[in-house]
This record gives sequence, structure tokens and C-alpha cells, in this order.
Amino acid sequence: MEDATRSFGKGSLPPGPVPDGLIRVYSMRFCPYAHRTRLVLRAKGIRHEVVNINLRNKPEWYYTKHPFGQIPVLENSKCQLIYESVIACEYLDDAYPGRKLYPYDPYERARQKMLLELFYKVPHLTKECLVALRCGRECADLKLALRQEFCNLEEILGYQNTIFFGGDCISMIDYLFWPWFERLDVYGIADCLNHTPALRLWTAAMKQDPTVCALLIDKNIFLGFLNLYFQNNPDAFDYGLAC
Amino acid sequence: MSGSARSLAKGSAPPGPVPEGLIRVYSMRFCPYAQRTLLVLTAKGIRHEIININLKSKPEWFFKKNPFGLVPVLENSQGQLIYESAITCEYLDDVYPGKKLLPDDPYEKARQKMVFELFSKVPSLVTSLLRKQNEEDCSGQKEELRKEISKLEEVLTNKKTTFFGGNSLSMIDYLIWPWFERMEILELNDCVDHTPKLQLWMAAMRKDPAVSALLMEPKALRGFLNLYLQNSPEACDYGL
Repeated sequence: MEDATRSFGKGSLPPGPVPDGLIRVYSMRFCPYAHRTRLVLRAKGIRHEVVNINLRNKPEWYYTKHPFGQIPVLENSKCQLIYESVIACEYLDDAYPGRKLYPYDPYERARQKMLLELFYKVPHLTKECLVALRCGRECADLKLALRQEFCNLEEILGYQNTIFFGGDCISMIDYLFWPWFERLDVYGIADCLNHTPALRLWTAAMKQDPTVCALLIDKNIFLGFLNLYFQNNPDAFDYGLAC
Repeated sequence: MSGSARSLAKGSAPPGPVPEGLIRVYSMRFCPYAQRTLLVLTAKGIRHEIININLKSKPEWFFKKNPFGLVPVLENSQGQLIYESAITCEYLDDVYPGKKLLPDDPYEKARQKMVFELFSKVPSLVTSLLRKQNEEDCSGQKEELRKEISKLEEVLTNKKTTFFGGNSLSMIDYLIWPWFERMEILELNDCVDHTPKLQLWMAAMRKDPAVSALLMEPKALRGFLNLYLQNSPEACDYGL
């Protein structure tokens, strides 16, 4: 995988400028937000390089890329920096030719952005469930709240009667949602999809997508990362990389 | 363009379909989010009709327009509905010809969206300060607001331009303007007293035809706010 490189930590030298014809993404192999950007890069066949950041031990130079040291950040050969995962994804769709991931039709485009609003509680809830379970706490309430959010998404698929959120083909909105659904199993909350058959069909269809497939994270490696992450081990981010 | 129509409330009949050649905005005369949409409609010269909604007594049919029951909502003659103020503004810019408010350049467009993110904490801070107008303990929130506003000052300082998107007014300026207008009217001016470039920006904004066409009457805003904070169903029609 393109992003199977060791992360940059404190004391590391900053990478040089981005070569012409390439775009760089500052990322972390297990981050769902960065995952969105990597999906779009892959789906559009954009030549890119990945620089992984050690999020528990951030390089000082990284704050010149993002004021709060967050990922993902895109950097192009003109030294332009773009951040917030959704903004980065839209930038890539606008700036690069080929397959358009957002619809051309302004209303359909607006619809995808409205759908994204419906999704906004999911990242926080899935993370809270993960943390609760890892800390040995109960999370029935959180799971209930998450199931409710999934019901709302289920309703959309039912109303539209389409496989994907943007219609019968995969599009931007599906890629923007996917990273959290991929993580349900490894977070231990896959049963939150028990009452949402259309959403289960959607996840099955997503797993057939070549882009999604190419970036699927190995479950054991993810578990290894999570174990180290919750022990506050700064080596977590490089877990599973060959030495 | 009538923005002074009485609002529709619970028990009202739903409006008919939108005539061709027109776009409808469900709005409320004092809502800052709806003001964004009205600014874009005005700036782009888009023929539109306004239906004001009584937000303290919402018509049942309004939830069919937006399941969240919030304004603004756009409805076109094809019956398509668009909500979330920023999404409505971008939709209008995409669909209608004339002056483009969002840049064509993908990086400049992304830059406007990044500035918009920088602004994101301001609305809730201004709202909570407006609600606390009569209480003493606003100092913490005022400090927070000043901090957020400083980030915007920094953008103008780094860019060395009058407006947030360059030397002409563009989408990002319209998206953030409504809260600065309210800060002035409601005497939260001290929150911008350390930001000279923002003060220049505010003065420049007031000269814009769309901004000045939609400026609120200070007395009307105060009257509305007073009733709104008491949950009065008369609030949204104050001054009519």
C-alpha cells in the first residue's frame, strides 16, 4: 500500500517540497478522516505520496502545515495547503480530471452535501463506543444513539431505493461515509447494523468497490494498532510495517 | 421581492407550488442563516419569492420542506428542496448565471471553505452572548469570541486584501457578514475593538449593494430579540 511508510515524529526532518506532478497527503494509516482523502486519491487515480505523521509525537515542523497539527492535509507542488477532510476531497474532485465523484447536477450535488449533514454524529459516536469498550465501560446508550443515526441513513436508502447514497453508482458521499463503517467490526460494534438491512447491503456493495478494496485495512494489524494506541504507545502508528 | 410579509404559523395552509422562473426561500426576517441566502439571491439578482416562517409556532407542513424544521430552505419550480444555509448559497451560485461568488480556481475555493471553518464557532458564541445580554457574567464568552475573531483578523493580515476572498467581495464575506452586523447592533463592538482590518472590512461591507439592501433596522432587531427570548409567537413579525 502507498501509505506503508514509517511515521514522522518529533525531531524528524521535514520532507522537502512536493515534486511537480505529484500531490502529497499528510496522513496516518488508521485515521478515518485521512482515509476519506486516500479513497478519493485512489478512486480518481491521482499520483500522490503519503507522509504519515505520528499523532502522539508530532514533528514541530508539522504545525507549519496545519495550525493544530491535524490530518489529513494536502500539499501540492505550489506549496498550497488544503485541510479539513471534506474540503480536501472536494478540492481533489475539482482540481483533477477524469472520473467526477461529485455529481455534475447542482441539485444532486447539494443533496450529497445535505446527506453529509445527516452523518455528522456518526464519527463522534463510533469513537466514543470504541473508547468505552476499550476502557471496559458499558456503552449501551451510545450504541443506541448510533443505531438511531443508522436508522436515519437506512430511511434515506429506503426512500431512494438505490444501492448507494448517490444513486446506483458509488460516488463521493459513499466514500465520505465509508471509513467509519469499515471500522465497526474492529471497534467491536458491528451489531449496530443488525436492524438496518439496506445499510448492510450498502456495506457489502462498498466492499466490492475496487478503491475500497485496495485500501481495506487488515483486521489484525488494526487490532494491533488499537492495542498499542490505548496503551499510549507512540509506536502504535507504525504497527504492522516491515522494519 | 417582499421580505416584509407576515410569517406563516401553525394551522396555516401550505403555500402552492413555486411558479416557473422563480425560486422560493423559506426565511425569517431576523435569522442570520437565512440572511446568507437572501444576500446571495440579492447579489446575483435572482428572481425569488420569500415566505417567512414563524419559528416560535412552526406550520406542520414546514417539516415536509425541511425535516429539521429550520430556515432557510430553497424550493424551486421542480419541487426540489435545498436546506442548510451554506449549501443553499453554493447551490444558487452553481445554478444561476451572472457574477460567480465562489472562485473557479479549486484552491481559492478550498481556501474560502477553510476560512468558513475558522469562523464556525462564532455563531454559537454570538447567540449565547445575545441571550445573556442582561446578565453580568459574559466576560468568559466575550474572551472566547475575541479569540475566534482574532483568527479572522489574522487571515486578512496575511492576505493583505480588503475582503476574505481577495480584493472584491465574494461568497465567504456574505457567509460571515450577518453575525458582524448583529455584533454592531447589539453592542458587542468591543469584541472587534482589537481587530482594525476587520473594522475596515465591516465598513467596506456596508457599502455593498446587497448588504445595504438587507441591513436590519436596529430597533426592529432589538424588539424581535426581546420577544424571541421570551418565546413569544409575535417575535418573528415584530415591526410589521
